[in-house]
Amino acid sequence: MQEKLTKKSGGRTLLIIIIVMTVLTVICGVTVFRLYLKRFTQEHAGTKYDQYYVMITGDENSAFSSAVYEGVMEAGQEHNIYIDMLGEHFSSDYAREDLMRIAIASDVDGIIVTADESPVLSELINEAADSGIPVVTLYGDNTQSRRCSFVGVGGYNIGKEYGEQVLSLVREHPDLTTVKVAVLVNANALDSAQNIICSGIQETFDKTERIGKKIEMTLVSVDATNPFSAEEAIRDILMKEEIPDAIICLNELHTTCVYQAVVDYNKVGDVAILGYYDSDTIIKGIERGVIRATIAIDAKQMGSYCIDALREYNEFGYTSQYFTADITLIDKKNVAAYRKGGE
Amino acid sequence: MKHFRNLSLQGKISLIYIIANVLVLISNIMLLAGINSMSGELDLVYRDNLQLNELVVALDDVQSSMTDYLNAKTSDSLEAYYRNEQIYREKIEVLNEEVTDLNFARMERNIKTMSENYLNMVAQTVEAKRGRNVEKYRVRYENATTMYEYIRTYIASLNNEQFMHNSSHYKELSEAFRLFETISLIIIVVVMLCSMFVIVRLAGTIVSPLKKLARQADEVAKGNFDVPLSEADSSDEIGVVTGAFNQMVVSIRNYIEQVRESMEVERKLKEKELLMETHLKDAQLKYLQAQINPHFLFNTLNAGAQLAMMEDAERTYQYVQNMAEFFRYNVKKGEDTVTIREEMELIDNYIYILNVRFSGEIHYEKEVQEDLLDIKMPSMILQPLVENAVNHGIREMAGEGKIKVHVYKKNEEVCISVKDNGKGMTSSCIDSVLDGTYRADGKKSSNGVGMDNVIARLKLFTGSDTVISISSEGENKGTEIIIYLPYEEQEEPYV
Repeated sequence: MQEKLTKKSGGRTLLIIIIVMTVLTVICGVTVFRLYLKRFTQEHAGTKYDQYYVMITGDENSAFSSAVYEGVMEAGQEHNIYIDMLGEHFSSDYAREDLMRIAIASDVDGIIVTADESPVLSELINEAADSGIPVVTLYGDNTQSRRCSFVGVGGYNIGKEYGEQVLSLVREHPDLTTVKVAVLVNANALDSAQNIICSGIQETFDKTERIGKKIEMTLVSVDATNPFSAEEAIRDILMKEEIPDAIICLNELHTTCVYQAVVDYNKVGDVAILGYYDSDTIIKGIERGVIRATIAIDAKQMGSYCIDALREYNEFGYTSQYFTADITLIDKKNVAAYRKGGE
Repeated sequence: MKHFRNLSLQGKISLIYIIANVLVLISNIMLLAGINSMSGELDLVYRDNLQLNELVVALDDVQSSMTDYLNAKTSDSLEAYYRNEQIYREKIEVLNEEVTDLNFARMERNIKTMSENYLNMVAQTVEAKRGRNVEKYRVRYENATTMYEYIRTYIASLNNEQFMHNSSHYKELSEAFRLFETISLIIIVVVMLCSMFVIVRLAGTIVSPLKKLARQADEVAKGNFDVPLSEADSSDEIGVVTGAFNQMVVSIRNYIEQVRESMEVERKLKEKELLMETHLKDAQLKYLQAQINPHFLFNTLNAGAQLAMMEDAERTYQYVQNMAEFFRYNVKKGEDTVTIREEMELIDNYIYILNVRFSGEIHYEKEVQEDLLDIKMPSMILQPLVENAVNHGIREMAGEGKIKVHVYKKNEEVCISVKDNGKGMTSSCIDSVLDGTYRADGKKSSNGVGMDNVIARLKLFTGSDTVISISSEGENKGTEIIIYLPYEEQEEPYV
């Protein structure tokens, strides 16, 4: 009887445990799932920022633009400013001028624009200034406008670096009496920066007269009116019978195009390429010995200068007119160290 | 559980059903709640896109109504413009205006500010049109249109971005859905197993007494009434049936016991009857062997008596008549019971015959209580006793032989004593006669009914063992045999 009773009470306990466990399983399952759901719905809340700047470059996807943007963002984060690369998320491609108009209409707190001397841009910059939006020109200046500051590189110094590279090339090849140098310039003559670089190169060459060599520098205008015309124009140069001893490129795209064309036409060693900017492709070209040297611009520094300029202007109503970013020459000798440092 | 046991069968089954269903219901509600919240999330995925599409429609309306107004300057179009402008303003009002690191939020903010600028521009255009300042409104219209294009593109871009983001969100959601599916499946399986367990368990509690009952019923059906009876531990219908069954089995057991007892009694009675019949048959057989003689004798004696009467031989007639009576008794009353009176008459005849035969040597004396004469007794009892008294008692003695028959009542018993003054019996002889082992040596002088037969028939008749007692005071001091008959009140004979 006693045993029977124990058995009965044991069975009842088991029954209750089972029922409780069932309910618990259901509750636990649903709770786990709710937590899971909550976890990823919470991801949508964003951080708030005090100020909103936009950056307008002609080419949002280039390594240079990305590097500058990185610098801008880094500096902006420190001061709780968000910077948009305007046009990045647009479904249609807008010209710089359209983006300027959009930025002005969007009533942003500051604009960073890769400018040139075009009067339309001047007008837009002035319009922005009228609406109380400070504009910083980046890399290329628009001197005619009421932009608050210009952040660029020392074009003259770059020119001198290029000149020095050409001179060392001359020294390496004593047999050459005449050295032909082609400088690829944008057909858009409004870019004042490249003019400064060119004059820097020319000035360096002037010294070579004394070592008895003749250096012929030609400016090759590359048509940039159509999106893909630059590449075609560069190939045309290399397909000519007489090719230059050195080609100096003044932007990232040109450097990449020349590099590829030289490899394709089997002209490696015949042409010394002096590149611009330190994208991965260009660095690789130096490592392989196709590109002789390139100019690395501290893009992050540029970005940081942009933010400084805009902030200062917003705060005090004025700022320094010019900011110059550091440049570094990279050639075969220091490319390995550069890569290591870069990483 | 105790309460459960006290429920009726219907209550128990309903309770099991309710418990199982409640378990399933709980899990279903939880799962439904999960699905509900998920579908809410799914709605959110495309809600933003819907909102943006509405925004585009409103923007288009503003632009077209403005254009209409500029074209025709109708009051209808102006009215439409005001209405559309209001609608659009309401729509952009809900857009986010914070700067956050979320792409959509910033795009929304830009759309909002651009739209406000656009609406101002449109208002100015309409104003200029009203003032008929052609140059101004044309320029403003162009600017507004450019802005309209920008906003449209912006909204389209946002729409696209959001769609792309939501698609990835949707992917996450569908993954969550899959997880949810797995969890649901696990929950459902667990709940199902548990409900099955609960149902089996509770159903077992209901059915086990029924099974036990069925087993017992089966045993009882096979005829085994000694099955251990289980207690009814529930108060439902099964408990009632178990109780009733137990009661029934107990009743059947008692009834069987009663039947067995009564059958035993009946069997004993029958046995007794059979035995009696056997002894009677035995006695009858013995008489039948001699029956030819009595019948023949009886008829011849009757003839002899008539002859003696014709010859006036009075004593011969008397003698033959007595002999005829004696044999007639033997022929007629060889069966069943008779009265003491008849037995006494037979003894009278017998003694008369013997006295004639042995010339009055036997002194016969009888002392009878008249009211006992109608008591019933087996036939052919007293005559053999008297015969024995004559043959073994007084025949071998010298002197006057006496036989006394005394019928009296003592302690509700009728006693018939046959006493002689013959040679008496030894106690061992008495014992052997009483237990039926005594055998007379060789000569068979009696007419066939021995003491053992007499005693057996008396025992059967009375149903008692003490029917006879034999006493003798010693050698030559005579013997007394007393038989005991139950005294039954005689009915008054009908007059």
